[in-house]
Amino acid sequence: MHSRDSKKEIIKPAVRAVLYLYRFSIIILVISLFIPAINAGRITSLVSENMSLFTAGVSYKTLTSNTIRAIKNGWIQAESFDILYIGCLMACLGVVGAVAAACMSLGSLKLRRLGSIFAIIGNVISMIGFGVIKIAHSQLSTTAYPDRINPAIPIGFYIIMGIVVFTMVLSVVLLVIQPKPTEKDEYELQQKYKLFLLMVPFIALVFVFSYLPLWGWRYAFFDYKAGGTLGKDNFVAFKWFKFLFQNKATRNDIVRVLRNTLAMSGLGLATSWSSMAFAIFLCEIKNMRIRRLIQTFTTIPNFISWVLVYSFATLIFSSDGIISNIIVSRGGTAVNFLMSSEHIWLKMLAWGMWKGIGWSAIVYIAGISGIDQQLYEAATVDGAGRFRKMWHVTVPGLLPTYFVLLLLQISGILSNGMEQYLVFKNPYNTNDIMVLDLYVYELGIGSGKIPLTTVVGMVKSLVSVTLLLSANKFSKVIRGESLI
Amino acid sequence: METIKNLSKNLLHGLSQIFRRKSDKKELYVSSAPKYKTTAGDVVFNILNYSFFIIFTFACIFPFYYLFINTISDNDLVRKGAITFIPKGIHLRNYISLRSVGDLAQSFKVTFARTVLGTALMVCASGLVGFLVTKREMWGRSFWYRFIIITMYFNAGLVPWYLNMSMLGLTDNFLGYIIPGIVAPYNIILVKTYVESIPAELEESAYIDGASYMKVFTRIIWPLSKPILATIAIFGAVGHWNSFQDSLIIMQNNASLYTLQHRLYIYLNQTTNIGQAMRSGNMQLSASMQAALLNAKTIKYTISMVTVIPILLVYPFMQRYFEKGIMLGAVKG
Repeated sequence: MHSRDSKKEIIKPAVRAVLYLYRFSIIILVISLFIPAINAGRITSLVSENMSLFTAGVSYKTLTSNTIRAIKNGWIQAESFDILYIGCLMACLGVVGAVAAACMSLGSLKLRRLGSIFAIIGNVISMIGFGVIKIAHSQLSTTAYPDRINPAIPIGFYIIMGIVVFTMVLSVVLLVIQPKPTEKDEYELQQKYKLFLLMVPFIALVFVFSYLPLWGWRYAFFDYKAGGTLGKDNFVAFKWFKFLFQNKATRNDIVRVLRNTLAMSGLGLATSWSSMAFAIFLCEIKNMRIRRLIQTFTTIPNFISWVLVYSFATLIFSSDGIISNIIVSRGGTAVNFLMSSEHIWLKMLAWGMWKGIGWSAIVYIAGISGIDQQLYEAATVDGAGRFRKMWHVTVPGLLPTYFVLLLLQISGILSNGMEQYLVFKNPYNTNDIMVLDLYVYELGIGSGKIPLTTVVGMVKSLVSVTLLLSANKFSKVIRGESLI
Repeated sequence: METIKNLSKNLLHGLSQIFRRKSDKKELYVSSAPKYKTTAGDVVFNILNYSFFIIFTFACIFPFYYLFINTISDNDLVRKGAITFIPKGIHLRNYISLRSVGDLAQSFKVTFARTVLGTALMVCASGLVGFLVTKREMWGRSFWYRFIIITMYFNAGLVPWYLNMSMLGLTDNFLGYIIPGIVAPYNIILVKTYVESIPAELEESAYIDGASYMKVFTRIIWPLSKPILATIAIFGAVGHWNSFQDSLIIMQNNASLYTLQHRLYIYLNQTTNIGQAMRSGNMQLSASMQAALLNAKTIKYTISMVTVIPILLVYPFMQRYFEKGIMLGAVKG
């Protein structure tokens, strides 16, 4: 497009190799901040095992969450933790300098040299931070109750410090082996890197919130309880995977939950054509004003939360809801339709359709208006009636869209979400309403069975991805178009 | 990637059909072309078709109406079940008494704050990323685009996600509502699709005049993308306003950060439980407790109403923005 980049600068292979190593070590340094196992600030057992150096340096509240009792009993001095916090904060701030340096290392010679200076400054700040952490440690070591707070220099302290020192050495090497900039040199960054650097913060966010949780899959291989640690002594390999099949109660639970999940997803799949039908029949309404009114009102339920849907449900179907009121006024007895497991799958399907059908019809309505008018005219000339036009013109026109949505729905067969089932769950229907997502929530977050539910979630994710990839392959073969 | 793009085009196209007040005839097509005479079959079909849609539309809006009349009708009549279709004994005391419901104001503040802040950040991020990923000269563009989009299709699972949030110190922390939602892959696809439909000449001329990427983004792309940004802002705001699951999972130890929906869920459950106990006779309630319970019932409906109003307000907004017409090229079936 537009080439505003100046002539390409040639970098010597040796310098290039050092540059790669330097960027790599900075990336490792950043990642190491987020790993609780090598938290350099864990100089006492009062700092939680699950806290990373980043958390310790950013959130004072989290860092000191366990210290209240220790301070009250005089095991530690309050300011030791203030010092520790300052140390962790400085260690983290120093890494910010290193990150800036890594970004600058993509630029021109002059920018790279400036970057090296940034890196050195950052690393020095980090080193001072480590010194401060050491001071906090020696202060804590003077306690009269060492068995309560276990002061010790953690292994992470040496690991992260090692990476910092390594980075600093590389920055100095880079300063030495790269030529001095001439007067003509400028601070420059190629367009492609400029664009990339603008993306970096967002890539980092995606990494932290979507990819980093995968690191949590390791809990599946440990005998972990909330607040505990992961180590050699509680490594259990595939115990929880076997447990899932061997423990009778759990196995029965899983079978029941899978039955519910597949039944409700299956019902959803079996009725997935309904929004297409909704759209086709809606387009038979010729009065534009009425049609738009219907469309507007039927999309409203899509925008309200499941909690509100449940509120509506109690308003209408509970024992003091409108239906019971009408029954009572005619001499009957009030019935609470929500407190039963009768036809619960169908009821859940009905609520789902009530909420979603108007919304999911939108795509099809747009599709109908994209169908060539001449097809209808030709069909009319050939004597096709209303239904034959629907079946032979409209439906084939919408099938590609339907096909794509169906494949996506199939690959999500195990994930029907938990909100709907959580709000409608009660002691009467819990057996039939419990779906996989809700089961994982109740067992994992509610009862703290973290390894077991991690296993379930892991298997679920793998199955879903496999289904999606198969659907994608299928779509490529059949339609020649990939799904994802 | 193409398929998702086409789907999102269809969705936007459909939305613009609903929400634009003036429509051009050609687009909104009636599948049976005009005929010269109406047959008896047509009449029967129309009656059945209209009845179905009228009944369904009624089913969609009646709960809103019924909720509303229950909150403004005389509380005694509501208790007796005398309110069916028409409000009686209209008053607004229920709404006034909401002020005395503890925690509600706090939840409202939290939800409002996350809706405003979360939506603003999400829209800015989606706009910028959606623009950046259209720049072919970016280093590793298609890789990074895929890196972001692929996260729509897999996740590590609820428990690892929770452990991750707790590791980052975002549990029992207001930022836990905001930061994870900043990058929204689907919205990025929507913005990207829209930006690609903007004539490239506009950008090019700016680059020739020496504008930087950020300048082009803020001066050209952002103003021109307003319809799509408004759309994702509405979706985002509705999502934040309705959020319930994250409050349930990551705010376990900090009730002052519960969202409005979470609070409503708690109220709904409380009244059901007490009501159940009353019926099964396990609990002997004094008159004052019964009164309190009945009050709790109307309060719960009033809270529901307050929660629903902002959602209904979204509609006129949508109309305003779709009026300008989001037309994204040709629609592929």
